[in-house]
Amino acid sequence: MPPSFLSISYSGEKGPIFWLALRTSILTVLTLGFYRFWAKTRLRRYYWSAIRPGGAPLEYVGDPLEKLLGFLVAVVFMAFYIGIVNLILMYFSFALFNANYAAYGLSFLGLTPIIFFAQYRARRYILARTRWRGIRFGLEPGAWGYCWRAIIHWIVAICTLGLLWPLTTLWLEKYRVSRTYYGDQRFVQGGSKGLLFGAMKHVYYAVGLSAVASVMLALYENPSWLLMYLLTLPWLVYGLAYWRAESFKRMSETKELGDIRFTAAPRPWRIIGIYALGGLMLNIVMSGLFMIVFMLIALVGGTADLENIDVDVMEGAFTALLPAIVLVYFLLIVVTRAMTQAWITLPLAQHFAEVTKIVNTQNIAQIVQRDRDEFAEAEGFAEALDVGAAI
Amino acid sequence: MNVTATDLHFADLAQGERAHLTRVEVVVDATGLTLRLPDGDETIWRWSDMRRVRDQADRRVMVLARKGDPVTRLYLADKSTQDYVTQNAKALGKRDQSTPLSKVALWAAGAVASVAAIIFLLVPLMASQLAEILPPEGEKALGDTTFEQIRTALSETGFEDQLRICDDPAGNEAMQAMYASLNPDADLPYDVQVHILDHPMVNAFALPGGRIVFFRGLIEEAQNPDEVAAVLAHEIGHVVNRDPTRDALRSAGSLGVLGLLFGDFAGGTIALFLANQLINASYSQAAETVADDYAHGLLEKANISPVALGTFFERLHEEHGDAEGLVAHLASHPQMTDRIAAAKAAVDLEREYDSILDDVSWLALQTACGGESNVTSDMQTPEKKAWPSTE
Repeated sequence: MPPSFLSISYSGEKGPIFWLALRTSILTVLTLGFYRFWAKTRLRRYYWSAIRPGGAPLEYVGDPLEKLLGFLVAVVFMAFYIGIVNLILMYFSFALFNANYAAYGLSFLGLTPIIFFAQYRARRYILARTRWRGIRFGLEPGAWGYCWRAIIHWIVAICTLGLLWPLTTLWLEKYRVSRTYYGDQRFVQGGSKGLLFGAMKHVYYAVGLSAVASVMLALYENPSWLLMYLLTLPWLVYGLAYWRAESFKRMSETKELGDIRFTAAPRPWRIIGIYALGGLMLNIVMSGLFMIVFMLIALVGGTADLENIDVDVMEGAFTALLPAIVLVYFLLIVVTRAMTQAWITLPLAQHFAEVTKIVNTQNIAQIVQRDRDEFAEAEGFAEALDVGAAI
Repeated sequence: MNVTATDLHFADLAQGERAHLTRVEVVVDATGLTLRLPDGDETIWRWSDMRRVRDQADRRVMVLARKGDPVTRLYLADKSTQDYVTQNAKALGKRDQSTPLSKVALWAAGAVASVAAIIFLLVPLMASQLAEILPPEGEKALGDTTFEQIRTALSETGFEDQLRICDDPAGNEAMQAMYASLNPDADLPYDVQVHILDHPMVNAFALPGGRIVFFRGLIEEAQNPDEVAAVLAHEIGHVVNRDPTRDALRSAGSLGVLGLLFGDFAGGTIALFLANQLINASYSQAAETVADDYAHGLLEKANISPVALGTFFERLHEEHGDAEGLVAHLASHPQMTDRIAAAKAAVDLEREYDSILDDVSWLALQTACGGESNVTSDMQTPEKKAWPSTE
């Protein structure tokens, strides 16, 4: 058979995802957060089904009740840990350092192992509930192995001021991808240690030049060095977008699934454009909403006699308005979230999907089904800690 | 039924065995859809078993599943067949529960029990123990942090970042004189600082490390200095028993656990805050009685009638009913009558009680937050009476 390929089409649209995100966020607020399991499931179903390699959509088959169950399981264990650990850290932080920022810091440090653990478990759950052409994905168990490796790699990255971040990224990606399956076929993440350093080059240039400018500024106090930042700051922005695009490309092109390979060609300027346009839209809508709220306040408040305001009446009015203020606050948050989904998350997913191709697919029909990974705990830990279980 | 038996179209079938979609002929009839596979096999999907997969991004394609078969999917792109399906399959939107509700209920009960055990038993127990052994410097630091947080949180004017401390020297001297007459120093691990904050709420409370805070509203409400002294004695009682420290450590533990439960939905912090308020309100009862007893003793020693404590609460309760702050916190709880009785019982009828402040000092205390706009250093100006003493 001749080598063949599948391109990925994308069928998500801003309008439907905006309304879906808006409706589910409102329900989440109204249920004090408990609808979030349903909200997340519905959004994922939409995002997954929008990605269509070879015309067949991915499917997310997670069950909200299963997620709720996993969350409850995690709460039973985590409540103990968080309650007691927070309390003890608070005590030591004040007993030894006389301050509470130490407690926050330590409390976060105490959680990091669990955060990595939870992230891996969440990924395992998500992959186990993802299908394409009726065949399940899967991730081998290995959360604790991921956890200690992640801690070491992060420490290395932090100690080198982030210079080794490309290596950290690749190492962790290798650990995850090399345990990922599609049906009975295992993925392999190839690539030598130096693979991703080139993808970070524009960040290095921008940061390096900024450092030079800062040193010169400190040494010679010549304000014209400040002009250098006009060059380096936009460069840094470009550098980050370039990293995002180029690291994706390099890692995709070194992934293997049997004899199947991948190609990708994301464009940094497109990523910048999506963020810029999304940010602009968000600003316009938020300013518009604020204007409307202020006009309403002016309409209500304008009728009052400003000369003879009674303090008690003012306080009464404030108390009466409090629910309205809370409502507006929630409305702004909910609209921000929905707009972020529609104008940033979805266009980014679309771009990355559309520039990716699956090649050498002639033997793809040989891949057979894998067993269902029951995994009762779902992504409960990630849900409880609020990490890695995002859309 | 408007079903034509001869309709014939194609659709894609994912059977979940191999990564391959099978092109099938779809025939509509009265019982359902008949799928003819290329190898000549036929399967019938009955209308009543048909389910539609929800939240699909591509609105042109209908994704169908069959009851009891979690893997097989039919991708139906043909519009006319889709119409037949929507007309005839009555249970398209039905959700088949795969997670047993009893299991969810069981874990929910487990989660509630574990959180309750931690918040109401373990955390308070540990907080008590740790509060006893926290060094005074640590307690002071904890109190300083909390004090600043309260001042920031209660500043609602927008003109200043923090609630104003009333620093009128004569007023603070009067407060100090009151404290000196009560003379509790022997019982205390550290110095007590008394602050008056410029806020209308009728409230007073103690913070870790020996800070006692009065709101302007409480001093306005008091009819005589003895009532303020009674509240002061009560708050000193809390300081002596280290209740505020216990409370702070306790909320550090329980807030973390509650955060776990509510997750990060829009404004989760508000739900958190409310829940924590509830826990704290119920916590104080035993501590209040101990603080009351201590206050009775202190007032008795200073030759002030302990009845002031009871009468003040009683009057506030009658005047405000479901009022705010201290009144809600203390006056409305069930043992109120017991407390008033206890205060009355502590009075020695044979004895001639003093008043804790003379009239001049009492006026200075009442005007410690300054007049309305004409703040002068001369606090004795009679026409500058800023507040009605009672309604």
